[in-house]
Amino acid sequence: MTESTVILALVVVTALGFDFTNGFHDTANAMATSIATNALRPKVAVALSGLLNLIGAFLSVEVALTVTNAVVKIQNSDGTPKESLTAGGGEALLIIVLAGLVGGIVWNLLTWLLGLPSSSSHALFGGLIGSSIAGLGWAGVNWNGNGSKLDGVVGKVILPAVMSPVIAGVIAAVGTWLIYRVVTGVAQRFTDNGFRWGQIGSASLVSLAHGTNDAQKTMGVITLALIATGDWTDTKSIPLWVKVACALAIALGTYLGGWRIIRTLGKGLVEIAPPQGMAAESASAAVILASSHLGFALSTTHVATGSILGSGVGKPGAQVRWRVAGRMVAAWLITLPAAAVVGAIMWFLGDLIGGLGGAILIFVLLLSAAGFMYWRSRKEPVGHHNVNDEWEGAPADERVPAVAGRAS
Amino acid sequence: MTDNLGFALDGAWKVLTAGLILGAGLPLLFALGIRSLAWGAGGEAEVHESGVSGPKAQPIGTVLGWLLFAIVVAGIVLGITFIVASGFGKALSFEHIYPTIIDKH
Repeated sequence: MTESTVILALVVVTALGFDFTNGFHDTANAMATSIATNALRPKVAVALSGLLNLIGAFLSVEVALTVTNAVVKIQNSDGTPKESLTAGGGEALLIIVLAGLVGGIVWNLLTWLLGLPSSSSHALFGGLIGSSIAGLGWAGVNWNGNGSKLDGVVGKVILPAVMSPVIAGVIAAVGTWLIYRVVTGVAQRFTDNGFRWGQIGSASLVSLAHGTNDAQKTMGVITLALIATGDWTDTKSIPLWVKVACALAIALGTYLGGWRIIRTLGKGLVEIAPPQGMAAESASAAVILASSHLGFALSTTHVATGSILGSGVGKPGAQVRWRVAGRMVAAWLITLPAAAVVGAIMWFLGDLIGGLGGAILIFVLLLSAAGFMYWRSRKEPVGHHNVNDEWEGAPADERVPAVAGRAS
Repeated sequence: MTDNLGFALDGAWKVLTAGLILGAGLPLLFALGIRSLAWGAGGEAEVHESGVSGPKAQPIGTVLGWLLFAIVVAGIVLGITFIVASGFGKALSFEHIYPTIIDKH
């Protein structure tokens, strides 16, 4: 077994780890509202979402090999890695990808610990941007595209992040307002029962769309690594085992459920009633589907959060906790740079030692950071048993020093 | 930068329009369905003064309600078809008003 094969194995394991965090970070996007309104029991909700993510991941046979091209320049436009990075078994590319993935995972875990719904795609892109800057310099990043289409960090990441929550929020607010207008005069118990069904349906659609959108990214990254080492040559398809492994990883992550984030989205922002939940999830599903149809990349997390806020704005007399929303927006703003910093540091550390030793060092750092954050989370566990407790005075509101992830 | 902003705004309008039709329109139909069912069921399903029995049942409301739900379900089926189709390299076309599945270009 050669050195680059071992590094490749580390990249694959780390990528699946990222996919897993992607799943549990985003369970909330689809299911937080259904759990908060008791439309579904918490365990049933995460199981349904996990299953739909699994199905969704298999439905996405579209090749996502060029996923990194939107933000960094480590691939040619046909999906093959840049020749300059594949010399010597592809180690240069593997280290960049590995460091980037570690940046994404560390940030995902930290925001999960804090119960903040940050974007997993931003974390992944941030990590890759950081490691590419470290490894290739500023020119290694595709900042603005070439002006012929929506592209680059600005076009694919920043602009959608600013616009999508607003769009989703407007749609959810309009939907909520209309619904409450229509059902005045109907007994509340009657409406609540009806809208719970609508909520389950719309939340399922979001889960399915999530599986198709997000699992692809990891599939693309793993296949890129395989091509770099020469273990795969076809740029038109993805190995079956990669597809199966990614689908299982994201589904398992979703099933385990990021309860802390579910709690924040379901209880922290707005006290959600079934009609609002249905309006929010419908808005999310519509925006995600319409955007992917138009090639307008966005983050499910931003959309879901915008929708939930919108459903609070649209219901007459509902209370929106803007302070919680503010914390979330702050987390969104720093997700990309923070993951980039971690990714860059990891690349430098890996490069300092070099080769297999460097890759192993990065991997061990990832494991210790993950272990630390898991241990920290056990002190104030949030699970299916307490996910719906009253928000005020809740343990999830505590803060952990933001340096925790990077220091370890 | 300005190019990107232009493309993004262009896309944003389309997403907003499609989103309002599907993301707020379908829930509106669903709400109308609930309203019709309540009208159809009468009695305790509708808000009425306490002490007196509720409005009497209107069977036509029940029919109308389920009809509206059927439209909503059709919309959701269309959404799922869209996800599946784009996963297999196909796209939904509304060229002929009713949706058809075509090859993606």
